[in-house]
Amino acid sequence: MRTFLSVVAFELRYYLTRISTWVYFGIYFTLAMFISALLAGAIPGSSASVLGGGGAVHLNAPFNCTILVISTFLMSGIFVIAAVSGNAVYRDFEAEIHPLFFTTPVGRLTYLGGRYAGAVIVNVIVLSAIPIGVFISFLMPYMDEEKMGPLVPWWCAQPFLVIVVPNVIFMSAIFLALAAKTRQMLPNYLGGIVMLMGYITARQLVGEPEKETLAALLDPFGFSAMGDVFRYWTPVEKNTMLVGFEGNVLWNRLIWMGVGLAIFGLVLAFFRFAHFTTDRARKRTYVAALEDWAASAGAVARRVALPVVVIQFGAGTRLRQVVASTWRAFAGIVTNVYFYAITGIAVVVIPFFASVTGSIYGTATWPVTYGIIDALGGLFALVTVVVIVLYAGELVWRERDVRVAQVHDALPIPTWIPLVSKFAALVLVVALLQCVFIGAGVGVQAARHYYRFELGQYATSMLGFGMIKWVELCALVFLIHVLVANKYLGYLISVLYFLGSPWLAEIGLQHVLEIYGSDTGWSYSDMNRYGPYIGPWAWLRLYWGLWAVIMALACNLLWVRGQEASFSWRMRMARARASRPVRIIAALTVVAALGVGGFIFYNTNILNTFRTSYQGEEIQARYERDYKQYENLPQPRIIASTVHVDLFPRRGAAMAKGEYRLVNKTAVAIETLHVQVPAEAEVHELEFEPPATLEKDDAELGYRIYRLAAPLEPGAPLACRYEIGFERRGFANSGPDTLIVENGTFVNSGVLPSFGYSEQGEIADNDTRKKHDLPAKERMHAVDDAVGRQNTYISRDADWVDFECMVCTDPDQLAIAPGYLEDEFTEGDRRCFKYAMDAPIFHFEAFLSARYEVARDSWNDVAIEVWHHPTHSWNVQRMIQSVKDGLDYYTKNFGPYQHRQVRIVEFPRYYGLFAQSFPNTIPFSESIGFIARLEDEAKDLDYVYYVTAHELAHQWWAHQVIGGNVQGSTLLSESLAQYSALMVMEHEYGQAQMRKFLRYELNSYLTGRSAERHEELPLVRVENQPYIHYNKASLVFYSLKDYIGEDTLNQGIRNFLAKTKWQQPPYTNSLELVQEIRAVTPPEQQYLIEDLFETITLWDLRAKKATVVKTAEGKYELTLEIEAKKLRADGNGAETEIPLDMPIDVGAFLQGPSSESFDDEPIVVEKQRIVAGRNVVKLLLEKKPDRAGIDPYNKLIDRDPGDNLTGVEDAPSS
Amino acid sequence: MDLVIEHLSKTYPNGHQALKDVSLSIPQGMFGLLGPNGAGKSTLMRTIATLQEADEGSIRLGDIDVLRDKEEVRKTLGYLPQEFGVYPKVSAQDLLDHFAVLKGVVNGRERKELVKALLEQTNLWHVRGKKLGSFSGGMRQRFGIAVALIGSPRLIIVDEPTAGLDPEERVRFLNLLSELGEKSIIILSTHIVDDVSELCPRMAIINGGRILLEAKPEEAIEKLRDRVWQKAIRKDELQAHAEQDSHISHKLKLGNVVVRALSDVAPGPGFEPDSADLEDVYFAAMARDRRSQTSQAAAATEAVGGAA
Repeated sequence: MRTFLSVVAFELRYYLTRISTWVYFGIYFTLAMFISALLAGAIPGSSASVLGGGGAVHLNAPFNCTILVISTFLMSGIFVIAAVSGNAVYRDFEAEIHPLFFTTPVGRLTYLGGRYAGAVIVNVIVLSAIPIGVFISFLMPYMDEEKMGPLVPWWCAQPFLVIVVPNVIFMSAIFLALAAKTRQMLPNYLGGIVMLMGYITARQLVGEPEKETLAALLDPFGFSAMGDVFRYWTPVEKNTMLVGFEGNVLWNRLIWMGVGLAIFGLVLAFFRFAHFTTDRARKRTYVAALEDWAASAGAVARRVALPVVVIQFGAGTRLRQVVASTWRAFAGIVTNVYFYAITGIAVVVIPFFASVTGSIYGTATWPVTYGIIDALGGLFALVTVVVIVLYAGELVWRERDVRVAQVHDALPIPTWIPLVSKFAALVLVVALLQCVFIGAGVGVQAARHYYRFELGQYATSMLGFGMIKWVELCALVFLIHVLVANKYLGYLISVLYFLGSPWLAEIGLQHVLEIYGSDTGWSYSDMNRYGPYIGPWAWLRLYWGLWAVIMALACNLLWVRGQEASFSWRMRMARARASRPVRIIAALTVVAALGVGGFIFYNTNILNTFRTSYQGEEIQARYERDYKQYENLPQPRIIASTVHVDLFPRRGAAMAKGEYRLVNKTAVAIETLHVQVPAEAEVHELEFEPPATLEKDDAELGYRIYRLAAPLEPGAPLACRYEIGFERRGFANSGPDTLIVENGTFVNSGVLPSFGYSEQGEIADNDTRKKHDLPAKERMHAVDDAVGRQNTYISRDADWVDFECMVCTDPDQLAIAPGYLEDEFTEGDRRCFKYAMDAPIFHFEAFLSARYEVARDSWNDVAIEVWHHPTHSWNVQRMIQSVKDGLDYYTKNFGPYQHRQVRIVEFPRYYGLFAQSFPNTIPFSESIGFIARLEDEAKDLDYVYYVTAHELAHQWWAHQVIGGNVQGSTLLSESLAQYSALMVMEHEYGQAQMRKFLRYELNSYLTGRSAERHEELPLVRVENQPYIHYNKASLVFYSLKDYIGEDTLNQGIRNFLAKTKWQQPPYTNSLELVQEIRAVTPPEQQYLIEDLFETITLWDLRAKKATVVKTAEGKYELTLEIEAKKLRADGNGAETEIPLDMPIDVGAFLQGPSSESFDDEPIVVEKQRIVAGRNVVKLLLEKKPDRAGIDPYNKLIDRDPGDNLTGVEDAPSS
Repeated sequence: MDLVIEHLSKTYPNGHQALKDVSLSIPQGMFGLLGPNGAGKSTLMRTIATLQEADEGSIRLGDIDVLRDKEEVRKTLGYLPQEFGVYPKVSAQDLLDHFAVLKGVVNGRERKELVKALLEQTNLWHVRGKKLGSFSGGMRQRFGIAVALIGSPRLIIVDEPTAGLDPEERVRFLNLLSELGEKSIIILSTHIVDDVSELCPRMAIINGGRILLEAKPEEAIEKLRDRVWQKAIRKDELQAHAEQDSHISHKLKLGNVVVRALSDVAPGPGFEPDSADLEDVYFAAMARDRRSQTSQAAAATEAVGGAA
């Protein structure tokens, strides 16, 4: 024990007197301070502010402390552990001092154990910089005092103790073991990468309810297990609670510590002191020497006449030398086991990443090539970066590492030959890696029986686009290694660069010319291919490519050749190496780079406007400051809109020429007209009749004020003629303008002139508002606010309008807009479509154009059309079926459909991942329904069917009745559409699919409320909060339907629609709907209205115990012990228990119900009266149950839906 | 063609002056550079081998300015550094072939023959397929020579090649060197006097960065003829003997110490005359140097004392 302690003490002395230990400490301290300041939004000019979802969560809430400590640790903390723990034994091998240690009478347990204990302590000391840094950052004056809670050091210490310290314990064991076994450091860094991969893989699975436990246990960092616990935390809980050392967190920690100790134990068992080198290596040397000796013993050196050879130093020789050296370097890497290890790890984890590719509600999409590249892109990029960083260092240092540098440096080759060959070898390795990835991608596709491989797209995206970027990064990493001329410092700087560069944007460096290798991004669409992204992307690549050339030249000049590694000598030598051609090439490249940079700047800052996100917010803030005063200024309202839209897909341009007819519907005379036109539009004409003169033109915001020659009296008409143009001008910093694209344009009427100040243009987030000195955002108008109800919640300048339009496009495309086709003709190279509506519509129109294929069908007299990309025909029939079923259900239960046509129209994915309902027209993103892959009806949720039904329902809920601009109005459109779609889906697919669907909805609701930034509101007063009006509403309506019956509920909804259809202002509100529902709800169930609509109510239901005995009649008596609670939460999630007394489902099952298959038929599910606290329920069953419990289908909102069922035990026979 | 070094000086960033005004003229044939560890041998060798820069002075190989026109020197240079590793997983033949490409031997057939001849000459042909990582020190040095000999360089630099070799290996290595011939300038640095005496028609002794002596070994020995004395003493007498100006060296012999001195007449009672060898030349030069350093230091101390 004494020796053990002295070994530990020796370790501590060794490390604590080394500068590197304290450098690590300093780095982590600074990182912790920096990340904490950044996430708290304390860095000026930064637009980052993400801590704990903001809102009511304190900056220093225990939840935030946990996030900060762990995210700082995740930033390469593992590599510090790898370095320190590996070095604990490796340094003996490196210094070749190990024989000295191994010949002392110290046992291996003492030696390795002592080193291990020392390493653990040192790691803990180094990493304790993190909680200390986080805590100290809270004391800084730049932290917003209003948002600080009590200062509790334990909140920073606890996550450190629960997550970081166990990580140190098991990771140190693994790394020490690796270093002891291999006597190298490289495996340690690889080990670190493997663990990072494990972490990232686990993160991939989070959010898939079925895989959460697996994810929680698989993550070697333990963070996923923690995330599992606080996923549903409300602001109040985030402010007061820490994740305890229990449940999955505890299991995760135990598992991984066990893994670490097991590995350490193995090494202890097999570690042998005696060997200087491995057995095999020693034997090889011995054999070779023996052979040598045998062959040459006594042999006198013979003078062998060396053949005369021709020595050439021409261009041909140089080429040969480059090829030979490149090949040698390349082969050296790819025949090495480590390369296989890295690639192998990537390939092994690919299925995990691919398993969730683009899945929605757990249903997979077809693994289209762009989807695979997107889903695996992050993994591929990570592995590629690892390979570049690792091998750039290995290559640059190759000769010096094996001590052949002096021989090599004295060879008659120009300095650029090793540089170029090494660079080329690295590029080849990266290219090979991309090919492996492509193979893996194809493999994933084939494994899912998808055989449209699109190798061309793989090649373009990964070997073309991807590679150019990687080559640029190779140049940078090479330069880092050449410049610092210290291998490990070079590694450290490279790693810091890759970790740090994503943060640069956060501190305001957002221009593409500011960060090496950045570009305007690109996105692939099956419809529009790479579309307009190619051009700007290529310019940026050229620009950074030129800088890469300059870096390569700098590498060449500063390349260490010979012994002079000091910077001053290398500068002197660089001057000597800079021959005339080198200088000329360098000068030309710089000039070219500046020229290309200038051109890019011209595009991003002169043709387009560049703003950092902070500056963008500032413009928004100015909009509010300057024009909020006009918010309630009376404005005329549009009653008819006629527009001629000319689309020029190839040019990316459009022209809209139209006329509005307006009326002063207010009671006062209107003197000024406030018109908004998108700032990027060119206004050719904007005239009024009676005339008005332009009084103010705020071009930056597109806000114009016109003064009417004579005030517009109440009831008086006004005409507005406009002609505005849009043209893609070069490219912007954020990427090319995709308003009009070559194939698949989708614009909506939002780009046309509108009237009056729009509150939707304001900054919504209060933290951001504060940064721009704006007062807290005013709440939405109260649910019964009379002023708010004068407008719909979407539009402020129109009620119901007559609509007519002409859309012209290229002759090979079809154009579509709301209305019925009245005319179609081709004139020259223009193909025009005239659409008109036969009745007033909600003023919200879309214009689309692409080379479509149209599938047609009909339901009664309603024509159904699906306009889709020719290769996307997989789910067209499902969409049509959904439309038919929807029309059927909605007309029967709610009221007639107002149009003679339903058209679903596909658009490219970069407009978004959504579908949207316009009058008789439903644009639908290519990457949601169109590529969904539905194979197993029992298992896969048919979300194509569901989304289609939802959008169709909007033809009633929004296009027939729409709420005023007050709280609760999205309940009338989104929630009712959601309920309608649910019913259609239930009738088609049965209850089983509903259960799975609702499980997702519950998860989304609970996650959503956890991230709430303002205040969670009851459904009836929802303020455009998607997690409430979609996800909670699904649960609420399904539950209500379950209690009061589908027909009853529909009756109430039908009554509501009948009263509010096509209404003029004041518009209806959610109270009116709830009133109708209340009216049909039986008196004894009225409490449901309060629980579900008017309050935030949660149930905590738990099956404690279930026992069964066989009765004399051969039946089974089940005794179920249940814990139940009903809770009310306030807007921040603080809960209070309220009395509970209501019927709730109890059920018994042969198995399940698992979410894997939905069709486990219950033995019984019936409603039983349940009160607060302990309940005992007895059921007499025909069959012997396996599982039983309360609310098995999660119809009530329960934060822990997993404990509703429990296994059934046999009752003790007494 | 000679290698002419003039007034070469080099100071390292840490202040250590490795070369002080070194001037040498090295003709074709084997040239031994003798000096203790840290004398500046390797610095000088590396500077000639284009791997290190000098602060002052010049080196010319024929009409090539070695310090400026490194490319030209490298075309005709063979260099075996003191610290010399190999790619452990590559075979001797393979790596030698690669180096031949890099040395400009591009014709494949010629290169193959050359590699074979070199491996035969260095007695490595039978282990040509073995991984270099399994080579013993001597084999590795011979392989290094094979590399250095590619392309028949006119300047061959061999830095401390025998350090660390066992006696048998050392002999074989020196045999190999002796075969290299007289067409090239071959500079062999070593701290082992025998290396030079067995091989080198010309030599220089270097210490503390300065050339102490440049001579032909036999002439240098000739100069000491009849001036070397030796005496066996007890260990406790060594201190007194070592302080004498004539003292050049001492070595242990069967528990006694044998001191050697340089003097025209017997330096003291008990001294016997002995025949001079190269070792005496070396130790005499070193002793002279040490004494001049000491007196200089003493003079400097006095000067400082005087100023105070």
